[in-house]
Amino acid sequence: MLASRHVDHANQAPVTLFPAEQCCLTIDRFSLAYAGKSALQELTLQVPRHRVTAFIGPSGCGKSTLLRAINRLHDLNESVSHSGDITLEGHNIHAADMKVTELRRRVGMVFQTPNPFPMSIYENVAFGLRLQKRLAKRQRDDVIEWALTSAALWDEVKDRLHRSAWQLSGGQQQRLVIARTLAVQPDVLLLDEPASALDPISTLKIEELIRNLKSQLTLVLVTHNMQQAARVSDYTAFLQQGELVEYGPTDHVFTNPRLQRTENYITGRMA
Amino acid sequence: MTWLKNAMQQGVWPWLCAGSVAISLLMLGALLALLLTRGLGHFWPAGLDEITLNNGEVVAGEAVREMPLPDQTGSERLYFTGNRDLDDARWRWVAIDTIARQTQPADLLRLERRAWGDFIGYLEAVEVNGERFTGDDAWQQVQQALALPTAQRTHYQLTLRTPQGQTLRQSLATVINVEAPNAMHLGQKLRAWGSEVWQFLSQGPRAANTGGGVWPAIFGTMLMVIVMSVIVTPFGVLAAIYLNEIAHQGPLTRLVRIGVRNLAGVPSIVYGVFGLGVFVYGIGGSLDEWFFDDALPSPTFGTGGLLWASLTLALLTLPVVIVATEEGLARIPEAQREGAVALGATRLEMLTRVVLPMAMPAMLTGVILAVARAAGEVAPLMLVGVAKLAPQMPLDGEFPYLHLERKFMHLGYHLFDTAFHGEDVQAAIPLVYATALLLVLIVLVLNLTAILLRHHLRRQRGSEC
Amino acid sequence: MDITSDTHSTHISRQFNQELEELKTHLMAMGGMVEKQVQDAVFALLENDSRLAEKVRDNDRQVNDLQIQIDDECTRVLARRQPAASDLRLVLAVIRATSDLERIGDEASKIARNALTLSENSNTVRGLVEVRHISEHVRKMLRDSLTAFARFDTELAMQVIREDEFVDGEYGSAMRSLMTFMMEDSRSITSVLSVMWVLRALERVGDHANNLAEHVVYLVKGLDIRHTDPDTLDQQAAPKKS
Repeated sequence: MLASRHVDHANQAPVTLFPAEQCCLTIDRFSLAYAGKSALQELTLQVPRHRVTAFIGPSGCGKSTLLRAINRLHDLNESVSHSGDITLEGHNIHAADMKVTELRRRVGMVFQTPNPFPMSIYENVAFGLRLQKRLAKRQRDDVIEWALTSAALWDEVKDRLHRSAWQLSGGQQQRLVIARTLAVQPDVLLLDEPASALDPISTLKIEELIRNLKSQLTLVLVTHNMQQAARVSDYTAFLQQGELVEYGPTDHVFTNPRLQRTENYITGRMA
Repeated sequence: MTWLKNAMQQGVWPWLCAGSVAISLLMLGALLALLLTRGLGHFWPAGLDEITLNNGEVVAGEAVREMPLPDQTGSERLYFTGNRDLDDARWRWVAIDTIARQTQPADLLRLERRAWGDFIGYLEAVEVNGERFTGDDAWQQVQQALALPTAQRTHYQLTLRTPQGQTLRQSLATVINVEAPNAMHLGQKLRAWGSEVWQFLSQGPRAANTGGGVWPAIFGTMLMVIVMSVIVTPFGVLAAIYLNEIAHQGPLTRLVRIGVRNLAGVPSIVYGVFGLGVFVYGIGGSLDEWFFDDALPSPTFGTGGLLWASLTLALLTLPVVIVATEEGLARIPEAQREGAVALGATRLEMLTRVVLPMAMPAMLTGVILAVARAAGEVAPLMLVGVAKLAPQMPLDGEFPYLHLERKFMHLGYHLFDTAFHGEDVQAAIPLVYATALLLVLIVLVLNLTAILLRHHLRRQRGSEC
Repeated sequence: MDITSDTHSTHISRQFNQELEELKTHLMAMGGMVEKQVQDAVFALLENDSRLAEKVRDNDRQVNDLQIQIDDECTRVLARRQPAASDLRLVLAVIRATSDLERIGDEASKIARNALTLSENSNTVRGLVEVRHISEHVRKMLRDSLTAFARFDTELAMQVIREDEFVDGEYGSAMRSLMTFMMEDSRSITSVLSVMWVLRALERVGDHANNLAEHVVYLVKGLDIRHTDPDTLDQQAAPKKS
């Protein structure tokens, strides 16, 4: 049986984290540069299916860049160049036959600041659906109810689906954005610091939601908040200056990291 | 007195700033007050004086204003006396010292006529189909007849007497209105004032723009502005979208953007010259050669007209629309665009479904700014299609209903023309104020509409943008 | 990843450094106090010094107070700093160590109480040689484990763990010889029983010192070696350069 492997900088030896058949996303020697300035260097790691994987690291370490690369959001920026492969369920996301809109449907993304569109709650969730196949209204209503329920928002908004989404609180808006992403039934959900603009209670609700969504899809979480990574993730990758420093089960990384650099970061020490 | 103490502690700057604000507000207030009093006061049915001078001469008319005499020995008063057909002068300066007697006879009338301006004097008699009425009967007959259509009034012949004793016969058909302001009470005066204002707004000009209303000018202004908006909005919005969303943000785009911003500062008469040269003579001339050669040498499109004026103003206001729209687009958070793209939207879907609806208030602001500017612009219009007196309205019941090649009237030009090209400057002054007030009000109404519309859009969406 | 004794003083937050430093200082103070208690108790027993024995018995209260104080500090650090990795291990090791030290303090006062009982007995007491012998070992274990804690020295800690096996063996043979004393002379049963209690207490002190050493290994290496066979331990805890 082949095992999932990634190269550990400490001893350059492959470390087995989970069996290969559980692998959802494979990042293989992926490098990325903004206008010639290197942002990610030869990153190699694998993200397990139906688990929460957290990317942590200091500002500018490339964790958000990596997340956006998975969704090919860098396509909008002409000054970005990359090498290496990112593979989603065995398909290279940069392959010619991979349509970027289809990739982005399969890989949903939630951003730092809640960004509901200036339309009703219902229309927000329907946005992604309307971009694709035409659904009968009844069917669409069902999908929207399911998405909002999955995002733990249905009970709070079911009586005001046609009110403006901007009237919701920050935490509700973020859950709405998650619902909007869930509505198109993605395989992977990328979360870029989803709770950094929210109050502690809303943050806990988002974290609870992340844990619950694990059964439906694969989640990748970028966060500045190490406690958050420790609370919700199953695996943690620590990035620094565009390289992967340490990747392992969250329990291990947060109690006994292998490397001094990781230890310094998660315990708040000077490098 | 703590506020005073605080203010003193902050030094002289707050006072300077507050002072400049106060002065600006004062000037604006003065402008509005002047326009309101002079403009609206013109329509008020003022009392008519009959005065006897020391030398026995009788003068009747409306006192307009007083000025000190050049030698400082007293002051003189200007009377509007009307009756230009009889004594060839409508205005009379009277030194106040020379006035022996001054009365306000209740039966002194003022007739608004289609020719020769107003008549001020007394009604002697009315003849209706050979029957003759005098005194109060005559007055009642006239009052009843004024309600009739013009064609039926030809049967009425008035015999009028000037205060100086001359008699004049006048058909009632040439009379628009008769009033005896000295005999009117406040309610009647208000009603008369209202109807005067309404006539000003709803009727065409008379007597070389020194009398009558400004309706064609209002209509022309509105129509020109609408045609201009229809042209400038899509162009401006598309240009802004290209500059902000599609173009590569390099030095060239920056240069174009700086160029667009600077275009907003080019004097408007330059646009007029461009419009005359390119639109009227260039394109218009060619159109005439190709399609209207049977009408040549009299030009159809080869002369100033509604279309060319609208196009010129569209060009003039294009930078305003582009800049406002671009600013609106730039204010939309990047997260909104990424949110749409991350859901699998193409760039076009992102633009049409998320970005443009969010930029709508900004676009609206741009269009309104453009409209406000175009409504007040005169200089380029003089070159490309505005007329002192347009023979036909540019919109009528005749196919193709909207006549883009016709010349039209414009409030701003009307104002300019009345003020500087009228034969009778004294009569024109109050009209100039009234027209200016109207122009200010139209721009104000347009801006208010825009603000309300924008407010409504924002409320619909929640907040922000 | 191994840590050293200054690992906990390199945080960006100096306040945090100070708090962790205080934890360690207070733990060492408690360790010193407990060590003195054991020494005094054994001395009181061997030299038949009933006044010293009473002092040891009364001092136990101070040990208990110190435990509560240090545990409070740990709770505060946990609640306010949410320590992770080596910091978390330090706090956990300190909490566990205070509990072991408090037990050692209890054992010391138990020895002191038995010393008091024995001092009332006019007959010569048998078995004191074994007590002296085992107490030397146990006190060395306690001292070494505290030193290992202070220096983050896993090798010293491993020595303590190995020493414990030896002490357990010594304890077995001492018990057997005390049994013979009881069988030879039935009048000495009371006093020998007291000595057996003392030996039992010393053996417990050795076990707690062994626990302390295990906490040091957990603290430094992040390995939990409690309830592990000592032979496999040697392989795991052998210093590995990474």
